[in-house]
Amino acid sequence: MLICESYHVPKTLEEALRLWGDAPDGSRLVSGATDILPWAREGRAGDVEIPALIDVTKIPELKGYSCDKGRIRLGAATVYQDFLTDRTLMSNLPCMPYCAIWFADDQIREQATVVGNLVNASPVADGTPPVVALNGEIELTRLEEGDVKRRTVPVVDFIEGPGRTLIQPGEIATAVTVDSAYGYGGSFQKVGQRRSLVISVACCAALVRADSTGTMFEDVRLALGGVGPRPIRLRDAERRLKGERITQELIQRVAESAADSVGSRSRKEYRRDVVVNFVRAGLEEALANQPEIGAKFKNFGETENA
Amino acid sequence: MPKIDLTMDVNGRKVVKQTEPHKRLLDFLREDLNLTGTKEGCGAGECGTCSVFVDGKLVKSCLMPAAKADGAKIETIEGLARPGSLTPVQQAFHKTGASQCGYCIPGMVMAATSALRENPDAGIEEIKERLGGNICRCTGYTKIFEAVEIARDVIAGRLPETALDEDATGESFIGANVRRLDAPSKVSGRLKYAADMKMVDMLQMQVLRAPMPHARIVSIDTSEAEAMDGVACVITADDVPGTDGFGVFIHDQPIMARGKVRHFGEAVAAVAAEDLVTARRALAKIKVEYEELPGIYAPEDALKPGAPVIHDYAQDNVIKHIPIRKGDIDKGFAEADLILEDEFRTQQVEHAYLEPEAGIAYVDHDDVVTVLSPSQNITHHRHMLAHILDLPINKVRFIMSPVGGGFGGKEDMIYQGMLALAAMKTHRPVQLNFTREESLVASAKRHPSRVKYKMGLKWSGEITAIEFDMLSDGGAYGMSSEGVMRKAAILSCGPYEVHNLKVDTKVVYTNNTPSGAFRTFGGMQAQFATESMMDMAAEALDMDPFELRRINMMRIGSRTHTQQELTTASLDRVLDAAEAASRWEAGAPKVRGPRRGDLGGPDARKPCTLGARIGDAADTETKDERVAS
Ligand SMILES: Cc1cc2nc3c(=O)[nH]c(=O)nc-3n(C[C@H](O)[C@H](O)[C@H](O)COP(=O)(O)OP(=O)(O)OC[C@H]3O[C@@H](n4cnc5c(N)ncnc54)[C@H](O)[C@@H]3O)c2cc1C
Ligand code: FES
Ligand code: FES
Repeated sequence: MLICESYHVPKTLEEALRLWGDAPDGSRLVSGATDILPWAREGRAGDVEIPALIDVTKIPELKGYSCDKGRIRLGAATVYQDFLTDRTLMSNLPCMPYCAIWFADDQIREQATVVGNLVNASPVADGTPPVVALNGEIELTRLEEGDVKRRTVPVVDFIEGPGRTLIQPGEIATAVTVDSAYGYGGSFQKVGQRRSLVISVACCAALVRADSTGTMFEDVRLALGGVGPRPIRLRDAERRLKGERITQELIQRVAESAADSVGSRSRKEYRRDVVVNFVRAGLEEALANQPEIGAKFKNFGETENA
Repeated sequence: MPKIDLTMDVNGRKVVKQTEPHKRLLDFLREDLNLTGTKEGCGAGECGTCSVFVDGKLVKSCLMPAAKADGAKIETIEGLARPGSLTPVQQAFHKTGASQCGYCIPGMVMAATSALRENPDAGIEEIKERLGGNICRCTGYTKIFEAVEIARDVIAGRLPETALDEDATGESFIGANVRRLDAPSKVSGRLKYAADMKMVDMLQMQVLRAPMPHARIVSIDTSEAEAMDGVACVITADDVPGTDGFGVFIHDQPIMARGKVRHFGEAVAAVAAEDLVTARRALAKIKVEYEELPGIYAPEDALKPGAPVIHDYAQDNVIKHIPIRKGDIDKGFAEADLILEDEFRTQQVEHAYLEPEAGIAYVDHDDVVTVLSPSQNITHHRHMLAHILDLPINKVRFIMSPVGGGFGGKEDMIYQGMLALAAMKTHRPVQLNFTREESLVASAKRHPSRVKYKMGLKWSGEITAIEFDMLSDGGAYGMSSEGVMRKAAILSCGPYEVHNLKVDTKVVYTNNTPSGAFRTFGGMQAQFATESMMDMAAEALDMDPFELRRINMMRIGSRTHTQQELTTASLDRVLDAAEAASRWEAGAPKVRGPRRGDLGGPDARKPCTLGARIGDAADTETKDERVAS
């Protein structure tokens, strides 16, 4: 049970930063509360008494998104359901709808924020691989002598391990900035103990852009979750695919080499198998999902998750 | 406790209330506004019994701090239709019988309403997807999905409103939708389960549970908890006035751990306080000193010489052994052309009814100790509690509240006694609502079992003898174990006529969570072994599995394993129907290659895939959504 002395709903970023800076030890920031409330239950943290909860979702500056120079700045209040309802986000971040549809359920997605998912830093967070594949950076904001200061950190570096990030006391994550991948095909692979409403054991995001004839990989982005303490970007695999002719043999070869990226100690052999299948299926599905030239890849047929 | 002021529009009415800052929207609706149609099945976002609309979006109110909803427009199940009427969705649920225990149904109706608001033309795949956050443990989803499709088509005008009326039934109800009498109260959220009820001056109870599976209780110090403001009483086993002990067959379980704990999560002490937070805080002040004892965690170990003894009365750790003998197995195996032997194991299973255990106890004006709870066995509970409380039977009363799913798991009196003791000690009504975690840790489970199987057969397929040896893990207390073993023994060798058999089912004490009643009551574990053996025998004999079953099936005049002569039998018809319905490809199991022609038909369940709506959205996407680079 989560018990708090006070619950604040600041209406401006400055007010939030001030409250957060002054908050007694043990206080917490809240976005969707979908991690923090289940955390304070029997078997996890149990009963937790907290001085203050500071809810940042009513700050206008943190709502919505904006686009600039091929980058999209997702305000910290952006929730996973947005990737299934907002056409612009769906077409510019083509891996996100597939991540979202496998993420919790419709109701939790209305609350669960991308930022909360990243700051919570679970090694099996579904949001991390697609954000990493989109070259995501997290924006951290603090007050310095009364002035609002911002810094940005690549998400791949931001998450240091389970529950550990580079966020500093007094900082609030205010946005996540990602590449626009308009015209790419996107996909998301996930396996857990059941199919629906489940936390991943492992997951994988893929983004692919083939040339206009659909025969060559122009750009490839691959990232894994759940196979180590930190998010993994498969740079080596990406390099080996970029500029190459698309063949099933190449995809298979690269997929197999990705098995070595598994760092987890538990169920290692299983995770290696999963990663090989995920990279292959991720690339194939992303190719099939690429708009306009998608028809070229119909021959890959149906693929199955591991 | 500190307070905050909240203002909301709830079901079209303005609500201004002071409440505590820690409350979730779920608590605010249920406790402060008495809108108890919204239920708490898990408190962790998993089940969907708490779904409500906040500013038009369906959310799980157990995951939303109430303060987050300040200023919002809230719609709950109570607000969907005017009193006395039902929405088309609710009417459709009524029509198709899409409510059994009903505990999930308000949430289901909310999710269905949301699905059709978000997309009035949603296809069945999208409907399934949008209802994906709501679990039902009893109805099964078929009737629910049927209801949503009917409601969708009525709302869209594709079906007349009369489609919501009751199906006409002719001679038989089979195949027709039959309305349930109690469905309107369930689809509208009006039915009150135990946790939904409130009494004036009621206390809240919380239970301190054992942190280890087997330990002697050296001491319990409740003084600090008792001294706290707002604590009305603390109870332990010492407060039991009569002969402590309950159980469906053997009364081996004390109301609260007495002298020692036998499983993780066993109740050790309980607090009744003015409110839940005070009760939780008081639990933390109770000091218990334990001396850990060696434990038993596998039933095989319980039978080893020198094994720890869990109950003094059962030095051999055996709860019950049921032997059945028929014919002569030595002769039977001697006649066999083929003898198969194997071992089968099944695991512990939780019932996961959506309503966690809950109850209220009070002492009425005539000094009658009254317990209201979703007990599946109130009469037996009443008799046992009278002994435990040392009261004449007319001074103990049990009221059965609507059961939000039980499946056997609510047969055990695991909390009603604590409530009664606290009500007697305080003369105030006391309520205890389990959390989901508590329900998992404290309630009975399906028996894990191990069956050693030996089957003799002729080349013709006739079974000549069976030796069936089951060992089950009863856990820390007897509960329904004896009955489960009887049923397992009676059903052991399946609906097959076996002239020579030796059946033993045995259940032993361990320090695992107690095992108890669960749908099939031991039959499932036995049938898993028997039917697996039959399939393996068919393979070994190169025979069609249906044929093998027909050769051995019980017929009119057959004698069961317990020597009862059958005057009716229907297995022949069952097999015919199953064979036809499954489009069975005739032949021995090994004639089929990796691809089976009889699988994947129109009525086969496909694996879950999500994303029905993504394709639709992508189709309508336009180029100018591109972000300039
Ligand atoms: C039933 C269920 C299913 C789930 N399914 C999935 C799933 O499929 N995949 C998955 O990845 N996750 C899943 N989750 C976990 C959770 O929903 C996600 O991690 C979610 O994205 C967390 O976001 P939030 O806004 O709710 O975070 P919150 O709970 O509000 O916060 C999470 C953490 O981030 C901190 N925080 C929040 N906002 C900020 C901020 N602006 N700046 C700095 N720190 C901040 C909080 O203090 C807290 O430590 C599930 C949860 C539940 C209950
Ligand atoms: S989802 Fe809220 S109570 Fe289960
Ligand atoms: S009717 Fe759905 S859980 Fe009982």
